[in-house]
Amino acid sequence: MKAVVLLSAGLHPVSARPAPVPVEMQAIALARTLGAAAAGLHAGPGGPGVADALGHGLARIGHLPLARGADPLEALVNHLAAHPPELVLAGRCGQGGEDSGLLPYALAARLGWPLIADAVALEMQGPGVLAVRQALERGGRRTITVRLPAVVTVHPAAPAAAAFAWGQARRGVLEVLPVPSGFAGDAVPAPELRPYRPRPRLIRGAASGGSAADRLKAATESAAADGKLMVGPSPEEAAREILAHLRKLGLVPPRQPR
Amino acid sequence: MSRLRRDPRSEWQARRVPAAGSSATRLRYALGVEAIPATEVAVGPTGRPRRDPRTAVARLAVPGTARLRLDRSGLSRSVTGAGAVSAAPQEKLVIVEAPDFWVLALVEAPGGQPTPHDRQVLGAARLLAGPGAREGGGGVILVSAEPVTGAGRLGADRVVTLPVLAGDPVAAAEALAVLAGHFSARHLLAPESPLAGDLARRTAALLEESLFAEAELVSADQVARRRGAGRLEERRRPPRCLTIGLDRVAMHGGSLHEARELAFSASASTASASAGSILSIGPVERDAATVPLAEAEFVVSAGNGVTDFDLFRQLASALGGVPGASRVVCDAGLMPRDRQVGASGTVLTAAGYFALGIAGAPQHLQGIAGVEHVVAVNTDLHAKMIERASLAVVADAQAVMPALLALLEAGE
Amino acid sequence: MAGASAPLLGLAVLVAGLLAAALAAHRLAGWRTGRPAAVDWFGGLAALPRRYLHDVHAVVARDPFTARMHALAAGGLLAATLLALLGAIPALGGLKLWWALVFLAFTAMLAGSLMVARRRLPQTPRRLSRGRFSLLPFLLLAYAVGGLVVSGDAALGGVLPQVVALAALVLAAAGLLGLALQIASGPLRHALAGALYLVVHPRPARFASVRDTGLRPLDLAAPKLGAELPADFAWNRLAGFDACVQCGRCETACPAFAAGQPLNPKRLIQDLAAAASTGSNAAYAGSPYPGAPAVAGLGGPLKPVIGAGAMIHPDTLWSCTTCRACVEECPMMIEHVDAIIDLRRYQTLEQGAVPEKASAALSELRLADDAGGRSPAARADFAAGQPLPVLPFEGGETDILLWLGEGAYDLRYGRTLRALLALLTRAGVDFAILGEVEKDCGDLARRLGDEATFQRLAHENIATLARHRFRRIVTADPHAFHVLKQEYPAFGGSFEVLHHSQFLDALVTEGRLAPAALALPGGKPVAYHDPCYLGRYNGEVEAPRRLLDRLGLPRVEMERHGLRSMCCGGGGGAPVSDIPGKARIADIRMSQAVAAGAGTVAVGCPQCTAMLEGVTGERPEVLDIAELLLRAVEAAGDGQEQAA
Ligand SMILES: Cc1cc2nc3c(=O)[nH]c(=O)nc-3n(C[C@H](O)[C@H](O)[C@H](O)COP(=O)(O)OP(=O)(O)OC[C@H]3O[C@@H](n4cnc5c(N)ncnc54)[C@H](O)[C@@H]3O)c2cc1C
Ligand code: SF4
Ligand code: SF4
Repeated sequence: MKAVVLLSAGLHPVSARPAPVPVEMQAIALARTLGAAAAGLHAGPGGPGVADALGHGLARIGHLPLARGADPLEALVNHLAAHPPELVLAGRCGQGGEDSGLLPYALAARLGWPLIADAVALEMQGPGVLAVRQALERGGRRTITVRLPAVVTVHPAAPAAAAFAWGQARRGVLEVLPVPSGFAGDAVPAPELRPYRPRPRLIRGAASGGSAADRLKAATESAAADGKLMVGPSPEEAAREILAHLRKLGLVPPRQPR
Repeated sequence: MSRLRRDPRSEWQARRVPAAGSSATRLRYALGVEAIPATEVAVGPTGRPRRDPRTAVARLAVPGTARLRLDRSGLSRSVTGAGAVSAAPQEKLVIVEAPDFWVLALVEAPGGQPTPHDRQVLGAARLLAGPGAREGGGGVILVSAEPVTGAGRLGADRVVTLPVLAGDPVAAAEALAVLAGHFSARHLLAPESPLAGDLARRTAALLEESLFAEAELVSADQVARRRGAGRLEERRRPPRCLTIGLDRVAMHGGSLHEARELAFSASASTASASAGSILSIGPVERDAATVPLAEAEFVVSAGNGVTDFDLFRQLASALGGVPGASRVVCDAGLMPRDRQVGASGTVLTAAGYFALGIAGAPQHLQGIAGVEHVVAVNTDLHAKMIERASLAVVADAQAVMPALLALLEAGE
Repeated sequence: MAGASAPLLGLAVLVAGLLAAALAAHRLAGWRTGRPAAVDWFGGLAALPRRYLHDVHAVVARDPFTARMHALAAGGLLAATLLALLGAIPALGGLKLWWALVFLAFTAMLAGSLMVARRRLPQTPRRLSRGRFSLLPFLLLAYAVGGLVVSGDAALGGVLPQVVALAALVLAAAGLLGLALQIASGPLRHALAGALYLVVHPRPARFASVRDTGLRPLDLAAPKLGAELPADFAWNRLAGFDACVQCGRCETACPAFAAGQPLNPKRLIQDLAAAASTGSNAAYAGSPYPGAPAVAGLGGPLKPVIGAGAMIHPDTLWSCTTCRACVEECPMMIEHVDAIIDLRRYQTLEQGAVPEKASAALSELRLADDAGGRSPAARADFAAGQPLPVLPFEGGETDILLWLGEGAYDLRYGRTLRALLALLTRAGVDFAILGEVEKDCGDLARRLGDEATFQRLAHENIATLARHRFRRIVTADPHAFHVLKQEYPAFGGSFEVLHHSQFLDALVTEGRLAPAALALPGGKPVAYHDPCYLGRYNGEVEAPRRLLDRLGLPRVEMERHGLRSMCCGGGGGAPVSDIPGKARIADIRMSQAVAAGAGTVAVGCPQCTAMLEGVTGERPEVLDIAELLLRAVEAAGDGQEQAA
């Protein structure tokens, strides 16, 4: 079976150095569980972060060189339509482009292939039929079977990526592939970017639209700020307070009278 | 394997029609929307319009038979829309008749109950649409697979129920795309959750729109999200398709909206090229006791201060939390190794952490560094976990556990 | 005519010698499958007597019974055999006196052989191997008794009946042949391999009383990185594995073994020796790797060593804390840690077969220069407003360059570093830090086998340091201390590096800090825990103790201390590899402190602090030397104020 793992040009969140995108490295590990002959495919500026995937279990990466900021969709569609694998794997969200996790969907739509999101395990169910174990909210799982070819995105809950092996990265092959003119992708308009400052999450129950004071409260209040200490309450008192607090945060469902 | 060589480009082109007045093309869709006939709408005791479910069902019946008309469009539905809300009697209802534009808000609402995230998406939709009933404002259409309790209270001007949303995601996305096209929706919003996020992306791909994923900040003229490996913040005017991050936007809390039901039928003529490729979709399996810690939303965790682990497991399950433990507990074999929270165990992404009898060693706290809400029960006032907690209770965990269980069992 | 059978004894020796030589040649051929090594043959040969009599003896003598046993048995055996061989020369063999001499030698050997037997009675200690080792006393006794009778008879001129003398000869010959057979593959191979290993030892500086403990750089351009097969080790290392006498001293010292983790350095060396020669470890009859997953136990010079289908399970490899306790105890001067790191290098660099958490740490080191992926800008956050001069990007000048290390990110160790800052400031030391350009020293990467990341970090740090002028580097992290001092020179960075305990000790000696006598709560004594990378790796065990004594603290020693101290479990990446065992090393170490009656454990290392503070329940307090000194200095200050 032939599989292609889409690779994006990631950055390390702290050092900002080029880095492989972890969930894409997990995708490589998943492809290997199928015993698939997996190759990497990158459409974009390339760089050491992409090449690092060779150290995580890929023997070869195809590189469709594009200018930084160019939309990779056309180049990918063109290449994959000409050399169709049976399976395209991608991380649930790539980096270096719009970082919105939309690319695999656009690709699947253009190729006319089905897309299954958030895989944590893969298994062949017979010739051309793949069972995808899908991660859902709050640790839920379900199995979807799909006829190949297909695009599958990989969830971070998938098994860990193979550790980086320097020696393998050294031996792997990075092959520059031709990009026919007309497929180089339009430049995506540069967004307005600024350094990210984490903002606290809101309290679950907080509402907007009330009085100005209410809205201000909702916008600024976070439960972490309301630190409360009870010393030596009775167990019942403690239990009541804890339960009320957990419910207020929406962590425990509201009470349901029997 | 010899497979038919397909040309996705031409297939894609074939499914498109020239858009009026431009060389661009758009997806072909067929649709029909009907407002619900006035005969079905009665006025409820609160003065708000209310539907008579019997008439609605009768309308669906194939004349001369007892069979219901088969319709993927969502006309068959029970009536729990806005009417089910019991509002303060004198509260004014906001009615938006002909807004300048529409905002579609997709929600999951399992069993018709909106989740906190769903409510926040409606809150965001309201922010984008404006308060309503004002010149130049927009209207909010809530879209869901089944009727949603209290949609008007959440800020929905219209509700559209599309059962197809609960099924095959390909058909669901096509229906959503058609809906967005029909209303020329200015914005399409969805919660950034696994299923709704998936649907939003499928729809955006069909609409050939970009997606503003996991918005953290939403206002009428600006939205912001994190990107660039989490190092950067992107700001822009609100685009067409957005998903909303969890606990980022406050739910709507002001006016009561009409939540008028719209019947909408879309015949899926777009017949996606990939239709039929998905062979089966299995049932959802979820057992809080075995959910991987890294994915848990709420973790109930035991440390050295807990001695009765059966009781602890019972409590975790009754609270609907995923069980966790400190290293000492796992080392002692009282809980499995994969339950260990901390630097050498799992680093949590949960929203809540309930720590019973855990001291809060640095290696343990590393595991909950990203957790917003911590509740701690510990006999030692000076324990680091007490310091870390937003609700800290200095008490014997062994006594608090049965008290909590008793409360939960009493249905409180 | 002396006893007629006596010259035959010489003949038997000759035959046995030839047999042993033939077998040994086979063994030698096995070592030659190894990689070449640069060896100073002449220097090694010339130094052999001293290396044996001084260095080996120093280790063996830690167990006086064994030392006497070995001197008598081995000395007697060698002397008696040599003399008996010469007795085959008619001119000597005719002398009664000569045979009296032989008799004396056999007497010594008999005494030694009895001690060998006695050591295993009534029960063989756990650390000793059984199997063929159990046969050894019998062979020794047979040879000794037989030889004794034959030579005694000859010395008296042949007084015994012919049959008895002949029987004795047969006994001696049998024992001797048995021993000769052991030279190649049995317990006695250490005699040959050990002697050769002393000559060609890969770390000859060890014998010049130098703490030569830095890992050797790996050539990253080599076709294969690290050791996969026995043949990937240098030949003199293979000889070293064969030198092992299975004395089990390393096993007794190994903290991972004590904690029930699947590591036993003795077995590891035996497995490597077996893999390099016979290909099967079935003959091993010592303690196992505690609780290790089963492996096939098969190998060969050109077969992989690590893996479930091979000799050694990977968990064994990753349990090691690189504490060098085994090396310190080994009478045969075997370098276990070098072997373990070579094997790890292959697993990490070529296979990417690293424990999951370790892989995450290596990944962060590779991409962000810190094992926790933390921002270099946050490294100095611990100072919390205390003065902390930072060097400019280049051209900075300072007397003391303070290397903060990884402990700076740790809240607990931040307290230690704040104490150190306060002391430096009080003493008026001219110091500064590198600031955001200080990167991880590379210790963790190197011990986990990621030589590529280590070398990159080393080169970058050396380049950073070269941009500034300073006299000495001071650090409170013994791992950084060791790497900067012993491992950077190979990459062109030679610095004078001091551990903070050494530097503080000097400041107190010079009178720049004046501590008052300190009383610790409860009045219980303090015990100093030696960090492996300061003590065993670099030989510094005095300065911290001197400093503690200056504080007037009652001090006790734990049973294991100084160069033979026990690891806290924090080195070698063991905390990130986190191979489960039955107990935790830190708990064992803490119980030793409790047994010594300590109320406080003084430490000098961020890892030791974290590991020992991770011990739960009632336990002695863990305080860094700098924290204790600051208390004493502040107490003195308060005293003066009151006096004034
Ligand atoms: C390298 C390293 C890595 C580590 N990694 C981890 C890790 O990943 N995860 C982890 O958890 N630990 C880790 N540790 C261990 C950590 O240092 C602590 O030892 C451990 O977290 C302590 O667990 P605890 O709080 O359950 O136990 P304790 O420290 O024994 O604390 C028990 C607490 O319970 C309270 N208590 C006692 N009885 C009661 C009662 N009846 N009711 C209420 N409270 C009570 C006590 O006051 C105390 O605060 C690591 C340690 C090291 C050295
Ligand atoms: S270095 Fe320490 S942990 Fe490793 S084998 Fe030797 S004694 Fe054991
Ligand atoms: S390696 Fe050294 S210490 Fe260990 S058993 Fe062999 S000879 Fe003894």
